[in-house]
Amino acid sequence: MASAFLLDMSRCIGCEACVVACKTGNELPIGRQYIELIEHTSGTFPNLTGGFQNHRCFHCADAACVAVCPTGALFKEDGLTRLDRDACSGCGYCVQSCPYEVPVMSDGRSSKCDGCAANVGAGGSPWCVTTCPAKALEFGDRDMILAKAKKQVAVLKDRYPNAQVYGETQLGGLGLILVLPDDPETLDIPSNPASTPVVADLWKSVVQPVSMGATVLTVAGAGVLGIIARKNHMAELREIEEKEKAGISSGDSETEEA
Amino acid sequence: MTVIETHEDERILRYRGRQRIVHAVMASSFLILLFTGLALVWGPLAFLAAGGWSRYLHRIAAVAFISVPVLYIILDRRGLKELIVESFTYDKDDFSWFRYMYRYALGRTAEMPPQGRLNAGQKLHHAAVVMFSAVIAVSGLVLWFLKADLSVTMLSLTAMIHDLSMLVLTLLLVGHIYFSYVYTAWSSMATGYVSKDDMELEHSKWVEELDHEGAEGSSS
Repeated sequence: MASAFLLDMSRCIGCEACVVACKTGNELPIGRQYIELIEHTSGTFPNLTGGFQNHRCFHCADAACVAVCPTGALFKEDGLTRLDRDACSGCGYCVQSCPYEVPVMSDGRSSKCDGCAANVGAGGSPWCVTTCPAKALEFGDRDMILAKAKKQVAVLKDRYPNAQVYGETQLGGLGLILVLPDDPETLDIPSNPASTPVVADLWKSVVQPVSMGATVLTVAGAGVLGIIARKNHMAELREIEEKEKAGISSGDSETEEA
Repeated sequence: MTVIETHEDERILRYRGRQRIVHAVMASSFLILLFTGLALVWGPLAFLAAGGWSRYLHRIAAVAFISVPVLYIILDRRGLKELIVESFTYDKDDFSWFRYMYRYALGRTAEMPPQGRLNAGQKLHHAAVVMFSAVIAVSGLVLWFLKADLSVTMLSLTAMIHDLSMLVLTLLLVGHIYFSYVYTAWSSMATGYVSKDDMELEHSKWVEELDHEGAEGSSS
């Protein structure tokens, strides 16, 4: 069973309550935040249109950050992309590979929304969902979230003909389902984000375990074999020495034979 | 009886002081690179890299590692030339040596084909070290200086090449330690000297060469 967020951009009023709740709830220090509100406007005054992009982790099913993360600090769980900061080595590959430019480096480690793993694990809801005064946020079973999003879009179509659900199919299906009143590009969100390249998966799922396994096996094998081989060699040296000695003591004239 | 004792103790210089310095720089920088590199890709050691200091150490050691050929040229041009030329030149004896390599690996040298200063395995080892060091240095420099310009595919590919060449070099190192243990050669890189008896067994053509040179040197 996969969980997902519902983020209804037709309801978001840009109050930043989610930003604050997330920051205080997750006890993020100054300079770190998982949600950023970016205002997008187009047109010329007085004919302005636009809205707020609630920029945060999209929790991709085929997450590029998870694929390139060499230590496994980023991983998928319950449909969401978790981050174990203790296991992060700060290589920054996730920052570079995310098609949505979500993770950032902070204090030498990666930083991004982990879906409030602690809260949800304890039976609660993510901080942003709990606090949203506009009821733009929900959290629950992905199928249920997706159904709600579709229902909302159907209603919105009357007023916003371009209204659409975002996240059903992108990157294997997102764990953040957006209800958008207009095309995603109006909020600077790519309609078709670049998919995760196969080589990125190969590195983590094949090259790394094979390398580790080969090294451990070789070291262990060499350790055992080394003791045997050294004994062999020592025996060989002793044999030669004995032959030499025998040669010297038996035939005094033939010492040069060795 | 005294004849035997002097014969046993005869030791010949195999690694000049400057070669031992080059070896020490390469070995220490490689080991630092291995463990600081491991800290980048292995969770349990990640805390070393996240603070940043092991990453700086990785770069300092990388500069030392990349400087090894330059250092070798400065300190001992002849030694480097010999090493490169010999490591990429194989004769008939070398090829038949490879056929019986398993015997050598098990510590039995008595029936191996006669070998020069470097046996066929050492040649191949050096050749592989030279090539994979070049690959790891180039991919490392790309990750160091051009990381921001790489696409996800290129980034993963470069990291993969970097990792795989380190795997090869690490396995070569395991082999290197293995053979120097089996053939009791650990002290030779510290002192530079090896037993002539051992060399007659394992590098007979080299000993012949040395004796020949010695004879020529004394006659002229």
